Amino acid sequence: MEEIPSLLPIYNAPTLKDEEGDKSLEKIPLTIVTGYLGSGKTTLLNHILSEHHGKRIAVILNEFGASSDIEKRMTVGQGDEQVEEWLELKNGCLCCSVKDSGVKAIENLMQKRGKFDYILLETTGLADPGPIIDIFWMDDDLGSSVYLDAVITVADAKHVLEYLTEAPIDPEDKTPLENGINIATRQIALADLILLNKTDLIDQERRTLVEQELGTINDSASLIRTERSIVPVHKILDIKAFDAEVTTKVLEIHAKDTQSGQLPTNVHTISLSFPKGSSIQRKALEGWLQTFLWEHRLPEDVDSDVEPMVILRSKGIFRDAETDELLGIQGVHELYEITPLPPHPTKGVNWSQGKVVFIGKGLDKGRLVSSLEKATGLSPIQ
Amino acid sequence: MSSSTIANDQECQGLDCSKPAKLQCPSCLKLNIPGSFFCSQDCFKKNWPNHKLVHLSVGAGAASDNGTSPTNPFPGFEYTGSLRPKYPLGERRALPPTIARPDYADTGFPLSEAKEKASRSILVMKPDEIEAMRKVGRLAREVLDIGARAIRVGITTDEIDRIIHEACIERDAYPSPLNYHKFPKSCCTSVNEVICHGIPDQRPLEDGDILNIDVTLYHGGFHGDLNETYLVGNVDKRGRELVQNARECLDAALALVKPGALYRDFGQVIDKHARSKGFSVVKTYCGHGIHRYFHCAPDVPHYARNKAVGVLKPGHIFTIEPMINEGTWRDEHWPDNWTAVTADGKRSAQFEHTILVTETGYELLTARLEDSP
Repeated sequence: MEEIPSLLPIYNAPTLKDEEGDKSLEKIPLTIVTGYLGSGKTTLLNHILSEHHGKRIAVILNEFGASSDIEKRMTVGQGDEQVEEWLELKNGCLCCSVKDSGVKAIENLMQKRGKFDYILLETTGLADPGPIIDIFWMDDDLGSSVYLDAVITVADAKHVLEYLTEAPIDPEDKTPLENGINIATRQIALADLILLNKTDLIDQERRTLVEQELGTINDSASLIRTERSIVPVHKILDIKAFDAEVTTKVLEIHAKDTQSGQLPTNVHTISLSFPKGSSIQRKALEGWLQTFLWEHRLPEDVDSDVEPMVILRSKGIFRDAETDELLGIQGVHELYEITPLPPHPTKGVNWSQGKVVFIGKGLDKGRLVSSLEKATGLSPIQ
Repeated sequence: MSSSTIANDQECQGLDCSKPAKLQCPSCLKLNIPGSFFCSQDCFKKNWPNHKLVHLSVGAGAASDNGTSPTNPFPGFEYTGSLRPKYPLGERRALPPTIARPDYADTGFPLSEAKEKASRSILVMKPDEIEAMRKVGRLAREVLDIGARAIRVGITTDEIDRIIHEACIERDAYPSPLNYHKFPKSCCTSVNEVICHGIPDQRPLEDGDILNIDVTLYHGGFHGDLNETYLVGNVDKRGRELVQNARECLDAALALVKPGALYRDFGQVIDKHARSKGFSVVKTYCGHGIHRYFHCAPDVPHYARNKAVGVLKPGHIFTIEPMINEGTWRDEHWPDNWTAVTADGKRSAQFEHTILVTETGYELLTARLEDSP
């Protein structure tokens, strides 16, 4: 079998071989655009590519992370010019590598092709964005030239509630999954920004209902209403959803205590605040978080056979009792990061109050509260 | 033409095609063959049978131009250091049909491993599985030692590969690297600036080289994996320090292994120890879970400040295999898509064990034997 390589655009790339000098090179933001079939993702991307914003934007189509795929289609837009090309993905050289072949392919392409200003990665409608986030939410120390800016989920206002109630199926063999979470729900739960699209196709009453349901699942994402996917580019790019500073936004989240939603998904947002002015032992909270995220159980349940909890997204902010530092928590599935917040916080935010927010399935608020109290010695107020 | 413009005044090189061309052949780019422009992928496909000959002609013809020998498969490639591959690699080595093979032995693609990877959970091995891992770990150690004893100035890495391949067969074991994601040989041999995944070839070892041999065996349904870096003849002081530091980095990480420790914590001590001697830690490649699959959960990064998932538990089996560099931590690849080299061409050293977490600490499944070289 002979593989014909994919052609590359003609380009005389400047070499990036200057020792450690590439530290000076700016990192390129990457936004994951997801959304169920027919929600308007492609329309959105076409808008972005054709709008005059002076950015050189690369749009990568299709799903990353599927190990058997060897090539990905990609469009690079620069002003009115759009060039289509293929990313060469090779599986062979990356065994036991912490960088996915997708990341490597983008980096290689930039070396050959020159830098982009922005990368948009469109998943297929049936993709769980979780594994794709895992790939691009890399450790800073890896020194990659791309970083994950945010996850945008486009939702079809007319049909999204139907999609959210679909029975979850195994992505591999399409068999029903008991206790699973369907793809549409995962896409909403993992969003940093939801574009509620096609709002012209529903009335106001319906819209209120839809927004309430989406808010029950994910109360930490911002939501923008759109028609035909039209939205100003500056509102959806450079959100920096994984930046420590943006973590302070969790303070504005007031998740509904009860499950106000009518959907049977059982995925919802829970937010727990610590008493004002209190600081928390980082070690205690982090240890608790590790068990919660990695064992899918509360520490007191580790050896029992209670139904595991599924945590899709975590955020938080707290003051470390030991160092007096303000720390932010960001988490996607099992991955989490605790990073110091900048010393001069956004004006008007009450920093003295620690807070954690979880989006997941089967979360029992009462038990979370008592478990956190046991771990930290502080009783979260609701 | 300035370095940042996209050229658009080229003509397609396809037969009977003179459309403007905006695309070029990636292989020609790698080989520094100028002028290979095409108008479209389709046109390129049509012309492929003829065009590919261009690549071959350079392989033989351009040799005298840049001082490389005809055995260099990538004459136009800009190497980061002084090491060059020496082809041909030769036929794939055969195995008796009686030896049990992993699923990728014929296809080159480890399907079962890919499926397991998706689940991301770290399996706890049962006593019978641990026993099988002890067995294969011990066999892998024996085979590495046999390979190491063959090291001398003048021997080719391909000859070491042959010796290792045969030692595997003698132990009723499959050499795990062979055809794993199409890797062409039975072990990895990484010389000087090669960080890892070096392909054994016809280059004779030289006095002063450092050589890492990475051996993995598949036996009784399980994989055992280890590597060590050896001095060839008289290695300079800095080279010896580098090898010694890499060994100590692994030891420092091992000291942390016990139930309750975090997989993310090894990187901290490895990084610290490497820096203490002015060395750096490779970030792209990490340690890994290993048992029925060659590479599985967990990921074990060797660099500090990582988000690795998981707490060590009794019955977990994984590798730690820090790669320590004399200069920059950054890596690049040769066009063979395997050989990882340092971006500055300076040397890199590595040591690896397969480790079982026990109730109180750890057991090295690939521990050195009394007579290990």
